[in-house]
Amino acid sequence: MNSDLSKIDPRQAWQPFVPDAKRPWNRALAAHLYRRAGFAATWDQLTAAVKQEPAELVAQLVRGPKTDEAFERQSRDLAEAMLATGNPQNLSAWWLHRMIGAPHPLLEKTTLFWHGHFATSAAKVTDPRLMLAQHELLRQHALGKFGPLVQAVSRDPAMLIYLDSTTNRKVRPNENYARELMELFCLGEGNYSEQDIKQIARCFTGWEVRNGRFRFREFQHDEGSKTFFGKTGNFGGQDAVRIVLDQPAAAEFIAGKLFRFFVCDEPAPPPALIDPLAEQLRKNDFTTGPVIERILSSRLFFSGASVGRKIRSPVELSVGLLRALGGATNVYRLAEELAQLGQAVFFPPNVKGWEGGRYWINTSTLLGRANLVGRLVSGEESKFAAGDLAQLAERCGATSPEEVVDWLLELLVAVPIPRKAREPLVKLARSTGGAAGKPVGTVIHAMSLLPEFQLG
Amino acid sequence: MSTTRRRFLSASLGSSAMVAMTPRVPGFLLEAAAREQDNKQGENVLVVVQLSGGNDGLNTVVPYADDAYGRNRFTLRIGKDQVRKIDDYAGFHPAMEGFAKLLEDEKLAIVQGVGYENPNRSHFESMDIWHTARRKGQPRRVGWLGASLDAAARVGPDVPAMHLGQGKQPLALASLKVNVPSIRSLESFCFRDGKDRALVGAIEQALTPKRDANNDLLQFLHGSTSAALASSRRIQEVLGRGKTTVQYPATKLAGKLRDVAQLIDADLGTRVYYVTLNGFDTHAAQNNAHAALLGELAGALTAFSEDLKSRGHDRRVLTLAFSEFGRRLRENASAGTDHGAAAPLFLIGPRVKPGLIGRHPSLTDLTSGDLKYHTDFRRVYATLLENWLGWKSAEVLGGKYKPLNVLA
Repeated sequence: MNSDLSKIDPRQAWQPFVPDAKRPWNRALAAHLYRRAGFAATWDQLTAAVKQEPAELVAQLVRGPKTDEAFERQSRDLAEAMLATGNPQNLSAWWLHRMIGAPHPLLEKTTLFWHGHFATSAAKVTDPRLMLAQHELLRQHALGKFGPLVQAVSRDPAMLIYLDSTTNRKVRPNENYARELMELFCLGEGNYSEQDIKQIARCFTGWEVRNGRFRFREFQHDEGSKTFFGKTGNFGGQDAVRIVLDQPAAAEFIAGKLFRFFVCDEPAPPPALIDPLAEQLRKNDFTTGPVIERILSSRLFFSGASVGRKIRSPVELSVGLLRALGGATNVYRLAEELAQLGQAVFFPPNVKGWEGGRYWINTSTLLGRANLVGRLVSGEESKFAAGDLAQLAERCGATSPEEVVDWLLELLVAVPIPRKAREPLVKLARSTGGAAGKPVGTVIHAMSLLPEFQLG
Repeated sequence: MSTTRRRFLSASLGSSAMVAMTPRVPGFLLEAAAREQDNKQGENVLVVVQLSGGNDGLNTVVPYADDAYGRNRFTLRIGKDQVRKIDDYAGFHPAMEGFAKLLEDEKLAIVQGVGYENPNRSHFESMDIWHTARRKGQPRRVGWLGASLDAAARVGPDVPAMHLGQGKQPLALASLKVNVPSIRSLESFCFRDGKDRALVGAIEQALTPKRDANNDLLQFLHGSTSAALASSRRIQEVLGRGKTTVQYPATKLAGKLRDVAQLIDADLGTRVYYVTLNGFDTHAAQNNAHAALLGELAGALTAFSEDLKSRGHDRRVLTLAFSEFGRRLRENASAGTDHGAAAPLFLIGPRVKPGLIGRHPSLTDLTSGDLKYHTDFRRVYATLLENWLGWKSAEVLGGKYKPLNVLA
């Protein structure tokens, strides 16, 4: 399929991918799926994946395995311990721990998507309990219905604190939430007027946060009639959310954001390509899970228009590396390192979340990304299930320098690298003797500065 | 030569192809020549020093000759014999010897009476106002510098702005798109294991082959990586040259500014550097604490100025030192001062119009016990954005503000 999105037939794009001789189902495509539907696959997962039908695997990744009670219990205990410190930065570490180990990576990934969408920073909210409560809310609705998610977010104390909307009196309605509801959460710029904002702000009067809890103060609510989007009535906040979501732009806006998150950073897709996804959202009560499943099993998703067409976020880069190699690390340190690279989870930079794409990249972040990879593979505050990386390589059938390089490229890099770029890596693998595991780590470190390594 | 072109040149020098094309000119000479040219033509840089907590402007630029000053500062008064005189009305706090010297060298402009309407006396609120140029209730998603970066910065390997420090990044730098790093040390710009020649050699060779010309994203990453490695090399080179001969005081601020000077020298295309000095909230026993802070400020900025001169960058660097508000004229019962309003701010660099800019606010015509401002801080910002950085200011500042006549 063409990588020029304007030349793609929208009717073909979202048809289920069926492997053929030109586009066979192989480890590279399975690795692509695992990267986007989560963070990365291990070699064993890739080996198993190619024996399955792609559609079957996608369904399995979207559905997720049966809840792993032991993991959830451990995660809850860890969360409690983090909360007890009162330091919201520890929450970042807690979530990273989940992402690295969670049995349902797509749920973590989609929760991260909504965290960027409904961006709220602990730097302002400060109370880690409120941040965690919001996180649970995003997770609960991550693959479910968008309507109830927006309704819940609209009453979420962390969100209201973040948007300076903890008081909203009828004499002077606070327009902040009404504006962000439309611009950032549901419709996108240009799909509402300043008048709509004023009217909708009146619907939210009386919605307040007191002592970390949402409350409705009836006598502060404007009982008058409001008119927006062609409707008139004594609407409250819930009505406002419902009416906003009834606007045609809503489904297109959400479908467009899912497209950018799951398919490619750029270029922006033509509306015709988004329409089928938007239509599916409207028909299914805005349920996002099935749309994500359709994207992940589509011809477009497994085409050159999507494979390697995203720049990996710092979280994707590091968590992906650890998951692919069966690694673990000091998550407190990782949280700090990711903050340096521009992605502190629970601390998005502004109300629009992370811009992503090319904005992840500059001199400081490129070197920082490579240094982080270097640190992770060096074994400094990190470890690998297989013992060391050489043992892992050997277990996966890679022993000669050539085999090690090809194995790593297939496992860790989304697109092929030029033949002439492979040679120096093989040479490096050959020359770096010494301590067991070191050659493999050194080759990964070298790869981390390949432009191809940044793609996911 | 543009920074991008020079960077390309120095990046290419790492690859054998470029060296082969220029067999008679050793690479380091080319690079040195390129740097020399850059010193003359490089883009202007702004360094912001934020004095957090509300600096007591009245004991910084002291109106020693005003009776009202002596009357209201009954224990904190700095006498005529102690100040470093600026003119027959005002003088610097005695700890600010460095500022007196900067003034003598015509490198310091003191903009007096800076503030804004209906001053807010909360640290957080007033700092937010200074950072965003917006009042509470107006959308404050981005800072004045961050918004400017969004509008002006090119996407690419350049690091358009940098915050040096451990704490939270100042809201002034918040932008919707640009990723502004907060760095603790120069090491974050060096490739770990950069001394492993086999590793670095392999990377350089692996970067040599061309990438698919039809893949924009890959082209962008390829170019950015070459540039990043070149930057890493330059920083390592700057660090390798050893510390500057200029003596910096052993203070935190001086350490940060020394790093800034090195970064400017390494030229990462950065237009804005931001550092913070905390502790100006002097409600009690102000004298010693304030003297130490002003000494740290003056000492660090003097050394920084000398260092930039010795490196040949001083004419393209301007430093702003500001605080979120000044302090009350009348001292309190704890030999300290409470939150106030208007205060002076400082612009440092050889291209300022030196001396006092604007009159000292009256000490008898007050608002709620505080000095009245006459120069809106957004006029200072407009000056820096329009006349120094060459960026537009109206949208960022939420209105047209007339730049001050402070740059020569």
